[in-house]
Parts: sequence; structure tokens; C-alpha cells
Amino acid sequence: MKHRYLITPEGTKDYLFEEAVLKKRIENRLRDTFQFRGYHEVITPSLEYLDVFTKTESGIPVEQMYKLIDSKGRLMVLRPDSTMPIARLSATRLKNEKTPLRLYYHQPVFSLNPSLRGRSNEMMQTGIELIGVTNQKSDIEVLVTATKVLQDLDIDNFRIELGHIGFFHYLVSRLEIDTDTKETIRQLIENKNYPALNDILDHLDNQKIASVIKMLPRLFGNQTVFSKARDCMKELDPEITQMLDYLQTLYQSLLELGLENKITVDLGIVNHTDYYTGIVFKGYVEGYGEEILSGGRYDNLLKEFGSDLGAIGFAVNVDSAVKALLSTKQHQIASAEILVFSDQNYQVKALEHIAKLAELKITTEYSLFETMEDTLQYAKNKGIHRIDIVEEQIKTIQL
Amino acid sequence: MKPIRIALTKGRLEKKTVELFEKMGFDCEQLHHKGRKLILEIPNQNLEVVLAKAADVITYIEHGVCDIGIVGKDTIIEYGGSFFEVTDLHFGACRFALAGKKGFDFYAGHAEKTIATKYPNVTRKFFDDKGIDVKIIKIEGSVELAPLLGLSDAIVDIVETGSTLKENGLEVYEDVAQISARLIVNTVSMKIYQTEIENIINQIEQVLRESEKK
Repeated sequence: MKHRYLITPEGTKDYLFEEAVLKKRIENRLRDTFQFRGYHEVITPSLEYLDVFTKTESGIPVEQMYKLIDSKGRLMVLRPDSTMPIARLSATRLKNEKTPLRLYYHQPVFSLNPSLRGRSNEMMQTGIELIGVTNQKSDIEVLVTATKVLQDLDIDNFRIELGHIGFFHYLVSRLEIDTDTKETIRQLIENKNYPALNDILDHLDNQKIASVIKMLPRLFGNQTVFSKARDCMKELDPEITQMLDYLQTLYQSLLELGLENKITVDLGIVNHTDYYTGIVFKGYVEGYGEEILSGGRYDNLLKEFGSDLGAIGFAVNVDSAVKALLSTKQHQIASAEILVFSDQNYQVKALEHIAKLAELKITTEYSLFETMEDTLQYAKNKGIHRIDIVEEQIKTIQL
Repeated sequence: MKPIRIALTKGRLEKKTVELFEKMGFDCEQLHHKGRKLILEIPNQNLEVVLAKAADVITYIEHGVCDIGIVGKDTIIEYGGSFFEVTDLHFGACRFALAGKKGFDFYAGHAEKTIATKYPNVTRKFFDDKGIDVKIIKIEGSVELAPLLGLSDAIVDIVETGSTLKENGLEVYEDVAQISARLIVNTVSMKIYQTEIENIINQIEQVLRESEKK
């Protein structure tokens, strides 16, 4: 391991030029998206006590967290997620604030992934949490904001997909099964493993419910999903059809954005079922194999931290967005527009000239070469098309 | 639209998959005469095919560089991963089994048992579920050798007919899991190219139903 000082740890990397620029651009755009909708930035520490993430079923396995031990022997982790810390601070320091709380964050999360799988262990995430309101308006607000985020990324082919964790909760609660079987069924729905799901459900007593669960992972796509779902749920309680009505209302509202083909439904979204309580949604873009946005309503989480407030939010994986953008479009860093040259007598004057241009947002570089020949050569290499020579007067050469 | 890319597992499942494609009416000329080409086309279907080792099929699907994959359940159990596992193709059927020297009572005694296998995760899970501690040794080649040489008490391996076991004086103690080829789909592709992919799945399921009838 002689040369370890020359490399970055597995799963991390340096961001150079195009990638760094793109990353910052996305960050800034999302920051604007959130800020101008009344969200306020919070920054939580990179280090948290492990307890913050094990208080509830966060869906993050302890094995996947970077663990450290503090001077008193307590277990700490590098933040694997931002929602838990925000739930913690909302239930404590922000306890007496007027609701709704509109918070946004922009910070990296860390996870220990199996090596050689091409995963990142440090990922920049940005997202919002709308805390203290549980009505339809708050659901719509967050959904529309999430859609705007994907639109702002400038990738033509994206999808925002809507689901409701309530279907799964309602259906499995009516089956007499142990928690292990429940988890198996959940996984099979999540993986759309139709054959194995059928096998397990065929053996259950309550076939009325089982047959609907079988359909759940197949109910995804456009508007037609609602009529199909209504059809297979018609013999169940109004409780479940009300959920469907609600989801359809949200879906119809989103259609007002004029993104007909980009808004879809999947009643088989069943990730983090111990955590989400209402609508759930995901964002996808063409050319990137994983979701880049995911969120939902979690009305029980803050209770775990001692505050009875409902909440909804989402997170965007900024690094994934950067990757997706890099794969769809050519991004090159722009070279300077002007190269400024002077001899030793006019150095400060030349730099003042640059300052003026920079104020006008014109990218200008100072030539550090001694001769005009070298300066010309450099401009050619870098693709700079104008040289300003600063003497008593300023002379401009177009290349 | 960009073509839908299918990753096929080389070897054991390849022939059966090509047969399936031909029953679906795909022109598999390029698949029969691969030459050195790595990305093959199926004419008139807007489909591309790549052939890969089983575990790589999963990697390609997970990362979304291929949209659909055909891979054995054995590989899925061993390597895991997140993707949709939509169809059981029923071919390539075999099983994972715990096997060892004939007449040996595997569960007898209190000494910790040693298991040789190419599938450490499958083995670990099998014994974890039983609450039994075992020592697992990963073997790359013929696993059957391990109990014969005295390296392990038993093996966990894929058993098709059981003839290799029999010839070497070994027998199956217990079945671990049933295996067959599966159709897997990248989670994002399934949503972005829903119509195209559902179309392919439906065609495949129809062929499967027809061959079941026969």
C-alpha cells in the first residue's frame, strides 16, 4: 500500500471541471427552486449518533453505515441520510416554531457499499421536507416541486411516478401472516417477482385480499392504471377506494402541468414501508439505471423523536443527475473569452482591466508569459479568440 | 427510439434462450453466427443482444446499461441486486442441494461442519435460516472433490441429474432451492420503455404457455 497517498478511497472521487461545474450548476438551480418557494436551508453535522438512524426502521442497514467511536466510547456514524437528522432537529430545536416548516438541505450522505460494484460511497443529496401539515395541498406542493426539479435538469425523457404505501399496509394488515412472511411479500412486490408472489399468496386463506395483492406490482403505467385498480379492488372496503380516489386526484392535478406522458403511477412502490405512511413517488431519467429522486409522506417519523408532526419530502441524488446529464449531452468547460497580456510595467493596470471585464461577467485570463509569441501560442492551444494587450492604451487582437 | 438491449447468459442457458427467441419469431441469425461481435442485433425488432457471464448479466441490468436480462435463479440468489424479476422461464431447471459422502449423517455430532461451495452467499443463508454455524470454503472448480479429499464435510452446489455425485460416491442430503432461468428487467427501463418491454414479456409468456400446453 505504498502508493495509497496518491489515490482517493474506494467509492469516492475528485470532481474536476465539467463535472464540478455541472454539479454546482444543478446545486444552484435546485437551491433556487427551493428557496423561492419559501424553503429554508439547514445543515446538519456529518457525524451523528448511530441512535438517530436506528430509532425507527429507516431502511438503512447498520452494516452500510460508516461507524466511528467517540472519546466516550459511543457509536457514531457518518450521516447516511438527511431526513432522520432533520426529523431530529425539527422535533427538538424547531419544536416551538410555527408550522408548516419548510426546510431544504444540500449535503453529502455516506454509505458503505460492497466494493467493485461501481457504487459511490459519498453522494451529494439535496431535498426538501415540508413538516407539520398533512393535507392534500401539502402533498401537491411537494409533488409539483419534485416535478419541477426533474424538468429543471433539462433531460427530455424523465418520469415522475406516483404511488401510495397505504395499499400495501391495508392489504397485508388483513392477512393473518407473521412479520417474516409480510416482509417476503413486500420484497416480492418491490421486485415485481410475479411468479414467486403468486406462489406464496396462493397458499393463503383470504383469497379476496390475496388476489388484489397479486395485482399490485402489475398496476403501473399511465392513467389506465386507475380503472384497472378500481376494477380489482371493487369488492374491498371503501377505505381502499378512497385511497385510490385520492391518488387519482393528485395525478389529475399533476396533469395540469402539461406533462401528460411523463407522469405515471405504480401501486407496487413498497420501499421503506415502515417509514412512509401515505403517497410515495420516484423520479427517473432516461440513460440512468436508478431512480434519481425519491420521496413520500412520513407522518410517524417525528413521533419517534417526540414531536407529533406529519411530514412529506424528497431527496434528489445530485451525483446521479450529473452522471445522467453527462451521458446525454456534451458538456465542455468554456475557455476564457479574452487573454490579457502586458509587460512588467503594466502588470497592475492589466489586472485592473481584468477586474473590469470580470465585473461584466466576461471570463478573462491573465497571460503569465513573458513574450507575446508564447501568449499567442497559449491562446491558440486554449481556444481563446481575443487578446488584449495593455500598455498606455489597450490594444485588442482578434484571433 | 434507442433499441432495447437484452443481456443473455452465455453457456447453459444460451441455447434455450435462442430457441425461445426463435419461437417468438425473432431472426437469430447473428446469435447463431456470433463471430467476434459483442453486441448483436435482432433485425426488424429494434433489439440488441449481448452475451455475458451470469453474474455480469445482473451487473449490466442493475446499472441500466442493458434493459432486460435472462439469468439463472442461482445467480440471482447468490449475487442479489435490485431489479424486477418478472418471469420464470422454466427452462434451465435444476436445484441447489446439500450433498456429501454417501451414508454420512450430516447433522449428527456437535463438531462444526465445513462446507465447500461456489456459492458462499447461498450457503450462508441456508444455514443461517437453520441457525447452524458452519465454516464455508469457497471453491472455484469441481466442488465435488472437496469432500472426497477430506477438505469439507459436504458441499452446496447445483445439481442437475445427480450423475456426477453418484459416480463419485456422493449423495444429496437435502434440497436448498429450486432454480430455473428468469427474466429480469432494470427498474428504470421498465418505466421508461414500458410499452416495448411489456410487449416482449407478453410475447415470451405466450410462447411459454404454448409450450406448456404441448
